[in-house]
Amino acid sequence: MSDLSRAEEWFRSHGWEAFDFQREVWTAYLAGESGLIHAATGTGKTLAAWWGPLLEYLHENSSSKVVPLRVLWITPLRALAADTAEALIAPVEDLGLRWSIETRTGDTTGAVRSRQSRRLPSALVTTPESLSLLLSRDRASEQFADLKVVVVDEWHELMGTKRGVQTQLALARLRGICPRLRTWGLSATIGNLEEAKTALLGRRPARSRIVRGEEPKTVIVDSLIPPVIERFPWAGHLGTQMVAQVVDAIEEGETSIVFTNTRSQTEIWYQAILETRPDWAGSIALHHGSLDRKRREWVEEGLRTARLKCVVATSSLDLGVDFSPVDRVLQIGSPKGIARLLQRAGRSGHRPGAQSRVTCVPTHTLELIEVAAARDGMESGAIESRYPVTRPLDVLAQHLVTIAAGEGFTPSQMLHEVRQTEAYGDLPDDEWEWTLGFISNGGAALEGYPEYSKVVPGDDGTWRVEDRTIARRHRMSIGTIVSDAHIGVQYLRGARLGTVEESFIARLNPGDRFVFAGTPLEFVRVRDMVAWVRRAPNVTGAIPRWMGSRLPLSGELAAALRARLGEAASGLFRGPEMKALEPILEVQRKWSRIPRPDEFLIERVKTREGFHLYFFPFEGRLVHEGLAALFAWRISRIKPITFSMSSNDYGFELLSPDEAPIEEAIAAGLLEPTNLADDIPASLNATEMAKRQFREIARVAGLVFPGFPHSGKSARQLQASSGLFFDVFMRYDTGNKLLSQAHREVLERQLERTRLGHTLLRISKSEAVITSPPRTPPLAFPLLVDRTRDRVSSEKLADRIRRMQRTLERAAG
Amino acid sequence: MEIHLEGQTLLLFAERAAFWQEENALLIADPHWGKAATFRAGGIPVPAGTTTDAIRRLDALVKRTQAGRIFFLGDLLHAESGRSKTMFASLGRWRSENESIDVVLVRGNHDKRAGDPPGELRFNCVDAPYVIGPFVLAHYPLPSEQGYVLGGHVHPGVRIYGAGRQRERLPCFAFGSRVGILPAFGDFTGLGDVEPVEGTRIYAIADDEVVLVSNRY
Repeated sequence: MSDLSRAEEWFRSHGWEAFDFQREVWTAYLAGESGLIHAATGTGKTLAAWWGPLLEYLHENSSSKVVPLRVLWITPLRALAADTAEALIAPVEDLGLRWSIETRTGDTTGAVRSRQSRRLPSALVTTPESLSLLLSRDRASEQFADLKVVVVDEWHELMGTKRGVQTQLALARLRGICPRLRTWGLSATIGNLEEAKTALLGRRPARSRIVRGEEPKTVIVDSLIPPVIERFPWAGHLGTQMVAQVVDAIEEGETSIVFTNTRSQTEIWYQAILETRPDWAGSIALHHGSLDRKRREWVEEGLRTARLKCVVATSSLDLGVDFSPVDRVLQIGSPKGIARLLQRAGRSGHRPGAQSRVTCVPTHTLELIEVAAARDGMESGAIESRYPVTRPLDVLAQHLVTIAAGEGFTPSQMLHEVRQTEAYGDLPDDEWEWTLGFISNGGAALEGYPEYSKVVPGDDGTWRVEDRTIARRHRMSIGTIVSDAHIGVQYLRGARLGTVEESFIARLNPGDRFVFAGTPLEFVRVRDMVAWVRRAPNVTGAIPRWMGSRLPLSGELAAALRARLGEAASGLFRGPEMKALEPILEVQRKWSRIPRPDEFLIERVKTREGFHLYFFPFEGRLVHEGLAALFAWRISRIKPITFSMSSNDYGFELLSPDEAPIEEAIAAGLLEPTNLADDIPASLNATEMAKRQFREIARVAGLVFPGFPHSGKSARQLQASSGLFFDVFMRYDTGNKLLSQAHREVLERQLERTRLGHTLLRISKSEAVITSPPRTPPLAFPLLVDRTRDRVSSEKLADRIRRMQRTLERAAG
Repeated sequence: MEIHLEGQTLLLFAERAAFWQEENALLIADPHWGKAATFRAGGIPVPAGTTTDAIRRLDALVKRTQAGRIFFLGDLLHAESGRSKTMFASLGRWRSENESIDVVLVRGNHDKRAGDPPGELRFNCVDAPYVIGPFVLAHYPLPSEQGYVLGGHVHPGVRIYGAGRQRERLPCFAFGSRVGILPAFGDFTGLGDVEPVEGTRIYAIADDEVVLVSNRY
């Protein structure tokens, strides 16, 4: 029976009562168990994980003055590290323990770093990258010898990424150093908790459990219904029309967060709100991952102290500490997923007796179905899963060099360790051998890489990086596992504003204007990896469009959406969203059909532009892009034909100058899930896609470096683009396994091949319904317009669409 | 592809070189020999073969054109750490089989640090500009009072857009009113973008063909 009294006392001294789930975690921890705690943010997960190690220490009755490193706390965002450390310090101070608690991230100052290189604190809050860096030092085993537990915060965010794999490898190394190490993960509730736990704890059989935290009170999901429902909605069109209603909603609350799906939307909405309410200048702010840390911290502080009325944000505010004053959350545009909407709703209502509430703001009217569907999904507990990444050899190569740059490793023992992780549990011998070769002699046949060596097997059997310059360069590149090439944005004289993708800056010419961090800027030049800017007098100009705006609709939300459409097909319109949509769906029914869940709708429309085929799998954009290419290819095998394609979260369009033989194609197996392994690569420019995917792989595997500040000419001589590496490998070393990894990642991540296969299976079992509407019906209209958008300039687009809408409105009567 | 420039005839080869008919000379920019070796020495695995392949291409061009002279327009060698023995050995073999050819290197920015090739290769190394006939041979493609400049340095590339959102980026030759830029000869060199300047003729290298892609910039 373990004694939890010190923890209980501390809780009571603050006027709280410990939750049962916290007691369960403490007891399990003291009994040597590991595990995963899942609950919404702000429900006491941190204290559940923290008090176990504290109780353990108190029970030891230790009297030593210095407490060596006992707890490692890993957080996915360095912005969260400081807040986490603060939360951990509180009980330690109350108890008067001799624990030191510090952070270690990319932002840590040199003085703290050098102190930490002599001795690590008792508890260290850090990121996966910084942990890797600590492992690349030659005293790692000694420094981690007394480690009791690693707590991985927001594991659901990490587990589906390569950083999650990096974390798995680091954990395996730490378990190699401390065999009795415990691991506790903190996670939001996701669909595959068992898998999340295995990925975190590895394949070593350890006693472990999943603990469910306190779930918050009910979550309210509602929407702002547009006053006038356009029957022919197109993506983005509603955007600013809704701003008046959004401003009213913000006014109702004390403090609001307005979430958008992309950073560019954040900038657009911030401007729009400010234009509507100029008097709010100074009390509204924006927050996204590209902003400078100081600005972000200022905004977060403003939320905590209720100084700000409203913050417009991206997923950068999804995670992390409590913003108790927040009582209103708005979601602009599609929620994309159920878990995501829950997470965002959970940012509000942390005051006693308050409820979490999220208000969805459609950017096109059809998104109202998604709101209704998301609510259904929440009620039935259909929460999305996160899938861990398996066997990325770039991350493995990076890890091996990391360890080799520190204490070194022996291959047999390292292979054993690596295979303890879930990510590399099934690593075949040949991939292991290749990766060892890649970091030592290039990995190709004899003389493929003359005079190359990075990691050198020593006489004692230990593999090390001997060249100090190579080791230093490797350490500098560890931090780059996630980021696309970003460059700083800075005023000519003065403040740094943040970072932006290099690809955006590459399109700008000196003198061009753009909006960033809510400020109109004029681009001056790029030098030393900084885009130098000056303030521009007015607001016109491009808004940087960052990557990540292509998050597709989740499978769970898509299924709920199909169910809602099915209800509408049988004339049932439940709730305010569906009632608002009824007129649009009535036109859809009149001109074509509202598909039931067991139907696959195909619409055939002829316009001046040619023959359009619209397909509606309702499976999210990525799957649709893959399906569009696949269907186009399969049809073109029956009859030579050229298609142009467009897709969105609901469906996709194939447009051709001649009529496509759709019935014949269906009879010939167009919709069948067979032969995908051959058909998918054949239907896409797979090499081109792999080449793009190779950008990330080349960075992680240490082939390309971000431009380092102050790196002289000698470093510049070692810079080449990832595309160049790709071409050279394709030509001179086709056996390079990073190439096959790129192809695999394209299929699994960009095309969601598994989901695509499931989708085809579902479609092949459905009844294909082909309609021939007189004009483009409402469901297809956004697709028609989307494609148009690729062709004509944006100013003309608006006119053109207005014209098209008028024609359709007249026809609908 | 045959073009006329300043009253002279240039043949543009898909092997990323030009042949100046009147002077019986090959013009080659930016081979960056030893670049892969530089990377390998720096702990970055780049497979061998790029430089060997470049020497093979050079040899084939010489045989095909029967050129009596070769002008390298800078950046012959990539860096000092890429000066590998194997590379100079294969260059030496090529040289001994082509003893009579006059080889001129107009130095580029990389050559300044990487150094000239060994004396036994008998490359005549000079600083830019090298004025010959109507042309000013240089590395940097900057206009000159002394004549029409032929240079390299930028590794010119051109973006080509096709139907169905297809995009290709191809190495190219770019001839403006006062300056002409040659593609980088080396395999492991990468592409810069050519500035879309009015009146520039751009010849893209599409696999084994040279194609005029744009006259209307």
